[in-house]
Amino acid sequence: MIQINRLVKRYGKTEALKGLTLEIEKGTVFGFVGPNGAGKSTTMAILATLLEPTSGQAYVGGYEVTKQPREVRRLIGYMPDFFGVYDNLTAEEYLDFYGANYDIPAQERRQIIPQLLELVNLSHKRDAYVDSLSRGMKQRLGLARCLVHNPEVLILDEPASGLDPRARIELREILKELRDMGKTIIISSHILPELAEMCDVIGIIEEGSLVAFGRVDEIYAKMQEKRVLRIRLLDRVEEAMTRLREVPTVSGVTREGNWVVAGFTGNDEQQVELLRELAVAGLPVAAFNEAQGNLEEIFLEITKGVGS
Amino acid sequence: MNLLQRLRNPVLVNEWKLRMRTRRSPWIITFYLLVLGGVTLTFIYLMTGGGGHYNPNRSRELFMVLSILQLAMICFVVPGLTAGVISGERERQTLSILLTTNISATKLIVGKWLASLSFMTFLVFATIPLYAIVFLYGGISPAQLLKVFGFYLITMLGLGSVGVLISTLIKRTGIATVLSYAVVFGYAAGTSILAEVIREFIRYQRRVYYSTGAPMPLWPDLLHSINPLFGMLGIFNEGPVQDLRRVISNRFSLVSVDPFWLYVLFLAFVTVVCLALAVYLIKPVRPRLRKAAGEE
Repeated sequence: MIQINRLVKRYGKTEALKGLTLEIEKGTVFGFVGPNGAGKSTTMAILATLLEPTSGQAYVGGYEVTKQPREVRRLIGYMPDFFGVYDNLTAEEYLDFYGANYDIPAQERRQIIPQLLELVNLSHKRDAYVDSLSRGMKQRLGLARCLVHNPEVLILDEPASGLDPRARIELREILKELRDMGKTIIISSHILPELAEMCDVIGIIEEGSLVAFGRVDEIYAKMQEKRVLRIRLLDRVEEAMTRLREVPTVSGVTREGNWVVAGFTGNDEQQVELLRELAVAGLPVAAFNEAQGNLEEIFLEITKGVGS
Repeated sequence: MNLLQRLRNPVLVNEWKLRMRTRRSPWIITFYLLVLGGVTLTFIYLMTGGGGHYNPNRSRELFMVLSILQLAMICFVVPGLTAGVISGERERQTLSILLTTNISATKLIVGKWLASLSFMTFLVFATIPLYAIVFLYGGISPAQLLKVFGFYLITMLGLGSVGVLISTLIKRTGIATVLSYAVVFGYAAGTSILAEVIREFIRYQRRVYYSTGAPMPLWPDLLHSINPLFGMLGIFNEGPVQDLRRVISNRFSLVSVDPFWLYVLFLAFVTVVCLALAVYLIKPVRPRLRKAAGEE
């Protein structure tokens, strides 16, 4: 559905995108992850036909974004990271205005708008002026606005930023519903664990280049090539640390009270063997855990030091 | 899609709705009518000696004063109304969303331009009762009355298009407004100052080279004819523009040009150029003219 080939964008001497290449299949929820200034918003703006790349091509539904912007606009619903609203319009009028901009006949708009307001849980705010809505409600209204012409692709730039936890949960629920409707969604966020739940595929971008791309479980697996072991001992902690340092697959052994934390690069069998050795040595092991890496840790690990 | 649907402009409808919902709009209308009404009615009171008598020649003067006052108001209000139409959308962070919809750049610019000017047109037409009062006293032909309103309309369209272009070019509404005022006042004063400077320069040259007999070139008068103040005075056969018709008739015996139409032509040209540029500039992904030509 979306194809990006060697996309480069320069702002003067700054290179925001350095030959970005990626492909997103139809019906995929793609999480675009990266620190500030990595190039996420630039990529999304190019896909939304708002920015011309310096070189390279981007296609949405087979249409080239710079050569066929009108066709692309029919296919996409774009929500920028920051967007304004017309405060003197009611929620219904706001959606009606954008519906008219998409050449949707008035009669059809009258049918669609209540459905959209219901989808984003704003039916009760239909006649409320937009300036009276909370930030979370405005964000949901913005999402409804993206859907007014029933686009196949949704490009959502940081839709959860600035929202309180309740509003985030509500937004997440709506996005799940949209995923179930078969929309192709590109969503960028700094709230990485949220993306893990919602996305099928994740791309991590750093300084204009894609540093990781794949299904969420693949990225987890990649991360787990280096596991973190947490071992709790009742006694003889120093002795256990000395023994662990002698094992070639173990590195970075540190102590946190009665816990020993160490990096481990071995496989499952080697992990079992390590536990057995500790037990055979008579060390009082009370707990032997593998620390669960979340997306936050994966992100920090993958982008470690690159942007700093 | 039928023609009516094609001409339908959601931006225009939305702008009307938004503009008439602000508290500022009724205040502007009230203030505008109070200023023009106050001046006109005071003038009538003084002219008629408190209602005792009237002179049709003074009525003509009153009509001219009212027309020029209204023209000055247009020159003052239009840049303020139009300079924020695009930059305001940009500042409000609604422009990028609009640009990703199906609405064409032309519809967007024309919608914004017409919406801002429709309010000014509304203001001008709200003053018709004042004109009706003055018209009652005589001294003005119906053709002159129509020309005055035509003059207002084309002036609004022209100056409004300049404001829209500047609003598209400049990202900040404050700077765009200042620049629009500078351009409009530069045009309003500059054209006639330039005309007089050129005329004086030509006269000086002729005195130096002893060629005083040669006829004066047309274009100082042409510059006067595109000046709003002198253009307006020309409708009442006053000011330097009235000479232009005579000079053209003398020089090109078959051609008769009404300076009013020169003004209309000039501002129509300005309008088309400014709007076309604004449409080109607002497009986030612009067609590459040179490349396109090369491909052909």
